[in-house]
Amino acid sequence: MVSEIKSESNFNRRRVVVSGLGIASALGIDEESVWENLVAGKTGIGPLRSIDTSDYKVGIGAEVPERLIEDHLATLKRRPIDRALDLAMVAAHKALLQAEVISDEPPYHEQNVSVIFGTGEGCAQSHHTAFTAFFEKGPRGLRPTTVPRCMYNAVSAGLSLQFKLTGTNYMVVSACTSATNAIGTAFRMIRDGYAETVLCGGSDGFFDPFFFGVWNNIPALSKIEDPTQACRPFAIDRAGTVLGEGAGALVLESFEKATSRGIPIRGEILGYGESSDASHITSPSHIGQAKAMRMALDEAGVEPGEISHINTHGTATKSNDSIESLSIRIVFSDRTDEVPALANKSFFGHTLGASGALESVVTLLSLEKGMVPPNLNIENRDPDCNLNLVGAEPIAIKKAPAMKNSFGFGGGNGVLILGPATN
Amino acid sequence: MNENQKEESILAKLKDILQESCPEVEDWSSFGPSTTIESLGLDSLTILDLLYDIEQETGVHVEANEVVTFQSIGDINKLLLVKGG
Repeated sequence: MVSEIKSESNFNRRRVVVSGLGIASALGIDEESVWENLVAGKTGIGPLRSIDTSDYKVGIGAEVPERLIEDHLATLKRRPIDRALDLAMVAAHKALLQAEVISDEPPYHEQNVSVIFGTGEGCAQSHHTAFTAFFEKGPRGLRPTTVPRCMYNAVSAGLSLQFKLTGTNYMVVSACTSATNAIGTAFRMIRDGYAETVLCGGSDGFFDPFFFGVWNNIPALSKIEDPTQACRPFAIDRAGTVLGEGAGALVLESFEKATSRGIPIRGEILGYGESSDASHITSPSHIGQAKAMRMALDEAGVEPGEISHINTHGTATKSNDSIESLSIRIVFSDRTDEVPALANKSFFGHTLGASGALESVVTLLSLEKGMVPPNLNIENRDPDCNLNLVGAEPIAIKKAPAMKNSFGFGGGNGVLILGPATN
Repeated sequence: MNENQKEESILAKLKDILQESCPEVEDWSSFGPSTTIESLGLDSLTILDLLYDIEQETGVHVEANEVVTFQSIGDINKLLLVKGG
């Protein structure tokens, strides 16, 4: 029974703060323009340009403008290699610069900083290139560097190499929970004294004919053709999710290190919970989700009544939104009617393994500004999604701990409790 | 096509391929047979990629162990000429 779920963890360890944020999204690659678009209610979803979708059921998605990425990579003297890596590179560069872990100009000197990133699909473009070469030319058609281009840790390895980060580097691969699991893992590493500074986040870039085709053929994507209307989290007329590409990066470090460096603190990671449904490969479970939420709250030492807002997983699929709403009500009880809840996927699209990072960045920005962006397309609320959903306008919130949920295919659940910067 | 023209043609192909894979090199005006592999920042992995691109472009297959001692673009150019690139 859910009422019997208790966290077995015992916490009271080092404080973990956020000293750098980076984002590469369909709403832009700098946090100011991303925030402006969010509060203005401008979606990043549009007709897909990078692939010909004439044979596909769906023709829309949230793409990051190609030119933005190419221009930013050029400042690092890099050319585009693979979308997931390129997006991660941009977001990570911005986060590391902001945290003053690196200076503006390469070459960079070696630093004992770890890289823990999440991804759902990995280097999808490189895989597609390899499949195509193999089927067209046979084994001799495969580029000798196919392995390092396609390996799932290509993103974390690429970041480590580029910025000379000599702590550990690895990827967390858990579908749509990947980035949240990566941030949670990084949080634990610092909290427990295994690391002082970790670059963490998530990245996914899968708008290539094969990987988009894979998603196109499962009944989870919205068939609504109008990009501004297609993604409708928690609305009764929701028709599925809309895919997006992007990356989010956070620099986490111990509170002691951040204060000794005198670096501005952007927020704090207060708690993390994770669980596995062990019930179905794609259908979510309220039991597993509620368990992860309770675990995160327990670790943070925060009561549901103290939560300022919930940045939901909110995919706009029939199944996710109703189950997530139930899970929240189990944990928050009557407080569910008061705590504002929002979903960012109607802006960024569902960026799969990156979503937890992008949405954590938004959550931290919300806590800094004392305001949350609106929900799009929420005119017809689903009574089964009985949450206190933010409407079409941004609203003020108190600068107090917030919950960020991520749930994934495979049954993985990850929940972060994020706090505003405090002394 | 005489030998000089062949050499120029292969050199031009090499330049095209390398410009794609060496974005950190800003000045290509002095690119030629005397350009060293070191100056282009090529490591063993990028050389493997370079051999792949050469094969796709010219049809000439070059094994990695045939180029391990090469120092310059001229060395690669000569091998490709010998192999009929």
